[in-house]
Amino acid sequence: MQIDVTHRPGNSAAKVSLQPGETITAEGGAMIAMSGHMQVETTTHKKGEGSILGALKRLVSGESLFLNHFTPAGAPGEIFFGTALSGDMMEYNLNGPGLMVQGGSYVASAPSVNMDIQWQGFGKTLFSGESMFLIHLTGMGPVILNSFGAIYPIQVNGEYIVDTGHIVAFEESLTYEVSKAGKSWLSSFLGGEGLVCRFRGQGTVWCQSHNAGSFGAAIGPSLKPR
Amino acid sequence: MQSSIEGGPAFAYINIDLDPGETVIGESDAMSSMAADLDLDAKFNGGFFGGLAKTFLGGESLFVNHFTNNTNGPRRVTLVQGTPGNTRAVQLNGQEYCLQPGAYIASTPGVTLGVKWAGFKSWFAKEGLFKLTVSGQGTVWYGAYGGLLEKDVDGEYIVDTSHLVAYEPQMKLNIQLAGGLFSSFFGGEGFVTRVEGKGKIIVQTRSLSGLADWVNPRLW
Repeated sequence: MQIDVTHRPGNSAAKVSLQPGETITAEGGAMIAMSGHMQVETTTHKKGEGSILGALKRLVSGESLFLNHFTPAGAPGEIFFGTALSGDMMEYNLNGPGLMVQGGSYVASAPSVNMDIQWQGFGKTLFSGESMFLIHLTGMGPVILNSFGAIYPIQVNGEYIVDTGHIVAFEESLTYEVSKAGKSWLSSFLGGEGLVCRFRGQGTVWCQSHNAGSFGAAIGPSLKPR
Repeated sequence: MQSSIEGGPAFAYINIDLDPGETVIGESDAMSSMAADLDLDAKFNGGFFGGLAKTFLGGESLFVNHFTNNTNGPRRVTLVQGTPGNTRAVQLNGQEYCLQPGAYIASTPGVTLGVKWAGFKSWFAKEGLFKLTVSGQGTVWYGAYGGLLEKDVDGEYIVDTSHLVAYEPQMKLNIQLAGGLFSSFFGGEGFVTRVEGKGKIIVQTRSLSGLADWVNPRLW
C-alpha cells in the first residue's frame, strides 16, 4: 500500500495505491475517484464484520454510520479520498502506541488498524463545544487524517495548550484535561477562548490552523435560514 | 519577539515567539495553541467605552486577550483569524493605518486601536459606517478571507464592494456605479468603491459576502 497526499494544503486528496487483495477502509463518503475494478464492501465495522454498537458510537462521534472497504480484484488499483472542507491531510503510521483522533478528522486506515470510539466523559467534553467522542486507533499500519486548514505538529514536553476546535489528533502518551485558557474562568470566557485542552506528558499533538466552528460563525449570519 | 506567518495564502496563521516579559494582544478566539505557562488575560479592547465602540462600530470583539510571557525563556503562541485566507503584518512607526472592520487579528502593546467615522458611502460599499484605525509604534497583524493583493495607487483605483481590507489614511473612498446603469446592474458588478489618493491599498481576492451570495440560492 502506497499513500500520497496531493494538492496540499488547500485542496488535499489522498491517493492510495493497492496491490491485488490489499484493502483500505474509509469513512463513508470519502471516496472521490477509483479504479474500475475496485470491489467495495460496506459494513458498520471491520471488513466482514458488523457492529451496530460500533456504528452508533461512530455516528455520535461525528463520523458516518458506515465504513467502506476497497479492494482491487485481480490487478493493482488506486483510489482517491477527499473531504468536504478544504484543508490539509496527513498520513500517520501506527507502530505501537495508539493515536487519539478528533471526531471528524478520520478519513481512512489499513485493515490492521483497530478503531474504537472513546467517550471522553462529561467533565472533559460537556462545555468544550467539540464532539464528546474521540476515535482511538490502535494496531499497526497507515492512517489518513484530514483537517480544516493547515496541519502543524507540536512536540509537547511538559505542558501545552490547544484550543478545543484546533485538535486533529494526538499521541496516546499524552494526557489531557479540558480547562480554562486564562488565569480565571471569567477571563477565559470574556476573551472568547472558553475552554482549551491542556496536554501533559511527552508526545505530539497535530493542530489544524483553522477552526471550522469559527468559520461557521463568520459566514453563518450571512446565510438565509433554512 | 520573533514572528512568522505560515500556511499562507490559503490558511495563514501566525507563530509568535515571545521573549521573557513580552506581551502580544490578540482578538477574541484567535488563539489556536500556546505554551501552557504563558499568561492569558482578557481585557477590554481599549477600555470599557472604547471596547463598546469597537464592538458595535468597528466589528471587533469587546474583549481582547493579552498573552504575556512571565517565564525565563521564549514561549510560543499561535494566532489565527476565523476564516481561511491570508494574513499580513504591518509595522507602525507613528503613522496611522486603516483596516476594514473584522480584519484585525493581533498587535504588539504599543499599537492603539481606534474607531473613526467612515461615512455613509463606506456603509453603502459594504465596508461599514466606521473604520478601524491602528496607530502608534509596533506590529499589527491583519487578514481577510481570500488572498491579499497589494496595490500602489496614484490617482484613482476601483475596488469591488466588500473587497477592500486595508488602506493608508490619506486615501479617500467614494462609492459609485461600476459602469453605466445597464452594465452595473446586469453585469453583476453593481456598486464599487473608488479609492482616490496616493498610497497603498490591500484588496482581498475573495469575500465572505460573495461566498454567502453563492451558497444562499442553493439552500433549500
